[in-house]
Amino acid sequence: MSAAAELVGVVDDDQSVRRGLRRLFRSAGYAAETFASAEDYLARELFEGPICLVLDVRMPGLNGLGLQKELEARGGCEQIIFITGHKDVPTATQAMKNGAVDFLLKPFDSDELIEAVKNALLRGKEHLRKRAERRRARGLIDKLTPREFEVLRFVIIGLLNKQIAAELQTAEKTVKVHRGRVMQKLGLTSVPDLVRLTQIAGISPADAPHGTKVHYPV
Amino acid sequence: MRNLVTPLGLTGIGANSSAGQGRAPFFDWRVGAIALAVALAYYAGAKIGFALTVQPHPISVLWPPNSILLAALLLTPVRLWWVILLAAFPAHLAAQLQSSVPPTMILCWFVSNSCEALIGAGCVRYLVEYPVRFDRLRTVGVFCFFAALVGPFVSSFVDAGFVALNQWGQDSYWQVWRIRFTSNVLAALTLVPFIVTWCGEGIGWMRRIRRARFLEAALLLVALLSVNAIVFYKLGPIADFALVYLPLPFLLWATVRFGSRGTSAAICTVTFLAIWSAGHGYGPFSTRSAAENALSIQMFLIVMSVPLLLLAAVIEERRKGAMILHQRDERITLAAESANLAFWTIDYERQESWMNDQGRAMFDYGPDEFLTRERFLSRVHPDDREAVDEAIERARAKSPTFELEYRLLRPDGETRWLISRGRYVRDDRGAISELIGVAIDVTAQVKANLELRLQRVEMARMSRVSSMGELTASLAHELNQPLTAIASNAAAGRRMLAQGPPDHEMFKELLEDVSADARRAGDIIHGIHHFVRKSEGTRRPVNLNEIVREVLRLLHSDLLGRGTTVETELESSLPAVEADPIHLQQVLLNLLMNSLEAMQSTAAERRRVIICTKREGDAFVMVSVRDHGSGLPKDNLDKVFAHFYSTKPNGMGMGLTIVRSIVEAHGGKLSAENTDDGARFCFRLPLTPQSESVEVA
Repeated sequence: MSAAAELVGVVDDDQSVRRGLRRLFRSAGYAAETFASAEDYLARELFEGPICLVLDVRMPGLNGLGLQKELEARGGCEQIIFITGHKDVPTATQAMKNGAVDFLLKPFDSDELIEAVKNALLRGKEHLRKRAERRRARGLIDKLTPREFEVLRFVIIGLLNKQIAAELQTAEKTVKVHRGRVMQKLGLTSVPDLVRLTQIAGISPADAPHGTKVHYPV
Repeated sequence: MRNLVTPLGLTGIGANSSAGQGRAPFFDWRVGAIALAVALAYYAGAKIGFALTVQPHPISVLWPPNSILLAALLLTPVRLWWVILLAAFPAHLAAQLQSSVPPTMILCWFVSNSCEALIGAGCVRYLVEYPVRFDRLRTVGVFCFFAALVGPFVSSFVDAGFVALNQWGQDSYWQVWRIRFTSNVLAALTLVPFIVTWCGEGIGWMRRIRRARFLEAALLLVALLSVNAIVFYKLGPIADFALVYLPLPFLLWATVRFGSRGTSAAICTVTFLAIWSAGHGYGPFSTRSAAENALSIQMFLIVMSVPLLLLAAVIEERRKGAMILHQRDERITLAAESANLAFWTIDYERQESWMNDQGRAMFDYGPDEFLTRERFLSRVHPDDREAVDEAIERARAKSPTFELEYRLLRPDGETRWLISRGRYVRDDRGAISELIGVAIDVTAQVKANLELRLQRVEMARMSRVSSMGELTASLAHELNQPLTAIASNAAAGRRMLAQGPPDHEMFKELLEDVSADARRAGDIIHGIHHFVRKSEGTRRPVNLNEIVREVLRLLHSDLLGRGTTVETELESSLPAVEADPIHLQQVLLNLLMNSLEAMQSTAAERRRVIICTKREGDAFVMVSVRDHGSGLPKDNLDKVFAHFYSTKPNGMGMGLTIVRSIVEAHGGKLSAENTDDGARFCFRLPLTPQSESVEVA
């Protein structure tokens, strides 16, 4: 999956602009695809590798911001650079808030655009890598039983077995068994490793019980 | 009150009573007063008649009652005549019963007297307009013939007949007829004009008379009395008979200076004095028998008064005519002055020319300078000289009238705009006898028109500039597209070169794209420049479909930004119209912007504008812009075209005004209407006859 090549997509309703930009990106060594409208891009099959979209704000049909929202909802990992002929601060702000990489005013310096694309692709790559890690971590965690998962949530906030047993109203020994099985299943040996993995997987730790003295792991 | 016995007052009475409101005429005190006045005057007249008899044989030289009756009838409306006659009757009885005349005779006399007055008054009132005035020749002529001659002539037969029937007196039928006829003619000629002119218009006119006139009148009266005293009293019977004409110059004085009123008064004075002195045995008319004396006095006075009355009327008519002419002259002069008009006439037969003062000042002519065409042309602006000369020559040869618009070059170098109209007048033989004309200075209007046109051009330009401002974003975007493409291509090329020898075919393509985009950018800039610059209105055949497409190109990204779709329904073979394309672009642009703004609160999927072009018969091409917006104010659709009317919070209200002025300047019409879900603006432009031939696909 991660082996897929990088792609630069250009979405602009103006044919000259599309041709010019495609030529520019190809000359810079990127694979480039052009789309006459947002709808055209959405119709394309999902690209798995790092992808940077260069979007015109004003377009017939779905405009740049609309496409950004649509992609967000689809959960894609497209990194977006907006290009516009119109210095429109509210639009730019909105675009950046929604996670755009850059907002360039036409006509822009080509090197600047290439630089922005490079950054965007790096960000895309990073994004993809993180996503892959998260998927892996989640895959591991999914193997745990619900009881083991509960124990895990207390472990990562630094509770001792005794405290966890009190919380779960069970024997300290039982907790110890569960904890050993969690480490085994996840292939880990230390609590710090466990904490990092749960962070990658995006698991929220359990709330610290009132009056419990928490011993954070080193 | 004071014009109690004026004709106007009497007319008023008649009108009041006939209107049937309030009191009947019997109880109108004014009618009563008139009746009383007539009765008193009639009685007094009879008394005077008795007094003015020539002794020893009692013949009344002048018999006033009949004339008083006649004058009263002339002064009152016909519907009141019965009142006059009724009032005169008791006076007649009262006067006559004092003499030893039998009652039947008295009654008969009343009948013949009334008959005479009615004949005279009837004829005069039938032939002459009311109120009767002795200031017109026709009136005096009709009066002298019908009232003073025919009336007495006819009634005297009746009178003499009555006398014969009653076997009263010793005179024969013809003697009675003759005596009565002459005395009544004289009374009518002397008394009636006097009464009518003096009572006819009240006394208001006296107030307006200047003191000098009063003095002159008094002087005349004194002179007349003195001369009469000398002629009819001092001179003995043996004096030269021709001396009786001595009062004549003074009568003429009265006639010439005091009109019919003065004349009749003077004649009355002479009449009374002559008869009185003769009656008392003085003067030239006391030498023979009573009958002979009476007759010669009568003849003398009749012969004198008729021409004098006629002369007075002629003089009054002339005076009135001169006054009207003077007033008209004044009015024309005033009109000419206030309108700065020049009038002129050139009489070719008499080699005379006339021009009013304004005209001479306008054309810079001396006060007595003769008007010639050469002189006129020398004043005309050199550029207009030939055309003016030709137009005059054409009028001279063919059509009698000409109208010129030309410039006048004043000696101080100032240029004035003039319009002249003239007409050649031809005599019976068809030869040109006269040229009359008028010229008016229209410099102010011409300048104002010019100013207005300049203003309109400037206003239209300002409006374009301001719509340009609204479009800047759109145009920046439009221009940025090719620039972006050029920049990208250039950067791509540079990179390709840096990476070693480029692919030839690809590089050629790249450069072709660059030049195409550069051209496109140039076109856009050219379009903006074209649009914003001052257009004096160079008209050429224009295809409206082309205009629609151009404007849509210009508005392209604005439409995108507003999320509006534009649909076009363009007739494929639309004939061209003669128009200024930039102005038409502006019209359409304004209408479109208007529609876009009207749809700001319309739901996105309904934001549609439909532009339609259509040929309408042989006369018009129609373009309509229909939106789905808020519509027009319902109360007054025409208001949207007014200056400074705007429903937009920051609108100037100039757009549609300019649109209308442009459309109308092209001889077209702009209209607006509400549809069920928006508004439609529509303009029609007329097709010119040659439109067909220059049809543009």
